[in-house]
Amino acid sequence: MSLLELEDVKKIYGQGEIKVFALRGVDLEIEEGEFTTIFGPSGSGKTTLLNLIGALDKPTSGRVQLNGSSIGEMNKNQLALLRRQNIGFIFQSFNLIPVLTAYENVEFALKIAEKGENRKAKEKVENILSRVGLGDMLHRRPNQLSGGQNQRVAVARALVKEPKLVLADEPTANLDSEASKEVLEIMVRMNKELNTTFIFSTHDPMVMEYARRLLELKDGMICREERRE
Amino acid sequence: MYLLKIAFRNLFRRRGRTLILSLILTLAVVFFLFMESMMMGLMDITFANIIDLETPHIEIGREEFFLEADEGNILPLEETFVPDDDMLMAINETQGVLGMTKVLDFSADFIAGRHEFPVRVRAIDPLTFGEVFRNQEYLVEGEFITGNGSGIVIGERLAEFFDLQSGDFFTLRFQDRRGAFNTMQGDVKGIVSVPHPDMNLGTVFVAKEQATKALNLQEDKVSQIMVRMENRDQALTQAQKLGVEFAGRDYQVRSYRDAAELLVALEAWGYLETYFILALFLLVGGIGIVSAIVLAAIERVKEIGMMKALGLKENEIVRVFILEAAGIGAIGSLIGCVLGAVVVYWLTFYGLDMEAFLDLGDLGVPMGDKLYGAWNTSSFVLIFIFVVAIAIIASIIPSYWAARKDPVEAIQHR
Repeated sequence: MSLLELEDVKKIYGQGEIKVFALRGVDLEIEEGEFTTIFGPSGSGKTTLLNLIGALDKPTSGRVQLNGSSIGEMNKNQLALLRRQNIGFIFQSFNLIPVLTAYENVEFALKIAEKGENRKAKEKVENILSRVGLGDMLHRRPNQLSGGQNQRVAVARALVKEPKLVLADEPTANLDSEASKEVLEIMVRMNKELNTTFIFSTHDPMVMEYARRLLELKDGMICREERRE
Repeated sequence: MYLLKIAFRNLFRRRGRTLILSLILTLAVVFFLFMESMMMGLMDITFANIIDLETPHIEIGREEFFLEADEGNILPLEETFVPDDDMLMAINETQGVLGMTKVLDFSADFIAGRHEFPVRVRAIDPLTFGEVFRNQEYLVEGEFITGNGSGIVIGERLAEFFDLQSGDFFTLRFQDRRGAFNTMQGDVKGIVSVPHPDMNLGTVFVAKEQATKALNLQEDKVSQIMVRMENRDQALTQAQKLGVEFAGRDYQVRSYRDAAELLVALEAWGYLETYFILALFLLVGGIGIVSAIVLAAIERVKEIGMMKALGLKENEIVRVFILEAAGIGAIGSLIGCVLGAVVVYWLTFYGLDMEAFLDLGDLGVPMGDKLYGAWNTSSFVLIFIFVVAIAIIASIIPSYWAARKDPVEAIQHR
């Protein structure tokens, strides 16, 4: 069974006469361990699609099924639980908690997912931060780290709870090319090592180079798909 | 635990805001502790003086007598009585009784020279009066009533009013039991200066034997039986018990609080005023907390969105904001309690010179010129809990408002 299945998913914003069709019927299946990039022009529906896949939003019609659970039928609390157990997010602007250190930001994600005992959690957090190259910056706060380092903390935070799916919305948009490359390589490595499924939305050609599956979105529909070895 | 950690650290993100809000709450706490200490101190000393000098823990008399006395009318001699043995035995056997004395209060005009002034004459039994009252400890001139001879003891203000000293001549004019006018004349034996302005001016002490003769009363007749107890709490409970016991015998038993209804009302007003001003402070603090949470939510929209993306439920996000508000309340009330403790300590040990503010004598409040506060540890605990609770209550609605933000909009907020 696929990790993610979308069937004729539509998303319409607005009420009354003014309606915006963000997604016009998307069908999609994603298997575990895939490294997929969704690209397309601004307003094509990339972020909307990612929000639906990430259980942050519900479709207007159609079916989004993640790991066997249908998102449209869940209430707010069930969606929150689904996200905390199964999905890791990486945002364009990192969105780390500024009052927590790198270590604490990562540990926080692990604690709320209620995965791992205290001693093991410590090992796990230190391990993942070392793997993203921040083993010596555990106790720095986000304002004491560079953009690339912050995004690496965000990657560690998304991966520490070993989610089935990691969603990255334009993860390199705020990084220079060197930092972008570093972050992408970490994600590719994690994908291989942990078999975590990654879905990106991006404009960045560099991100597309790393993808093994490319989906082009235009006017709220998938207009092209490409698989690479 | 992490929610608490985030809430705690968030307090220091906007230090200025946290400090201002905390200081408003600090002000409320210090004000409350100061006022409550003053009120308790004032009431403590006031009731202590009333008990020591005017009405002891318990007084027993005829209902009609108390009625006239409370209304400031001429004290009715027909309401005097002869206490029977059963009654005295019941009082003596009451738990916590330290002493008992019989007094005969009546109304008279004090005359010296060309002036006269209405007074209450308290005819006392010199042998037992000291078991219940402490008026003689405030003697400033001459001697107190010691035997059954003639002579009176007056208060300092009355002496000043008539420019009298001990040994000077006086006249008391009054109506006896039959309604005929009579006088009592002699020398002022002593002058007392008690911390009770009304008694200093309007009460005169004479020996009971001398008074009953002049009033043409039976020798054993009294207007009140005065009882001193071990403490005030006992007075309230035992007054009630004795009241039930004497209910069928046409006697009224009053505790010191029943006898000082005006003061009890003053006490209630004082507390009401304190709580009203405290409420105003807390209202300002509460509004401040509401706006602080709203501002924090606006500043942290993305963070709220991210927390939701991480899988935090709405009530967990609410908890972060509420803990933050509770933190502001805790900081404010903790500083307030520390500062309040310093103020109350100073007030308790060094007192406040009231002469500088107002003449308590003119107000008729039975206390000296210096007011000492009362230390009450439970007030500190209560105000701390209360302020934190107010902070939490004030933050509930804005916290829910913050937590209900749509995660998609929150994450994309710019």
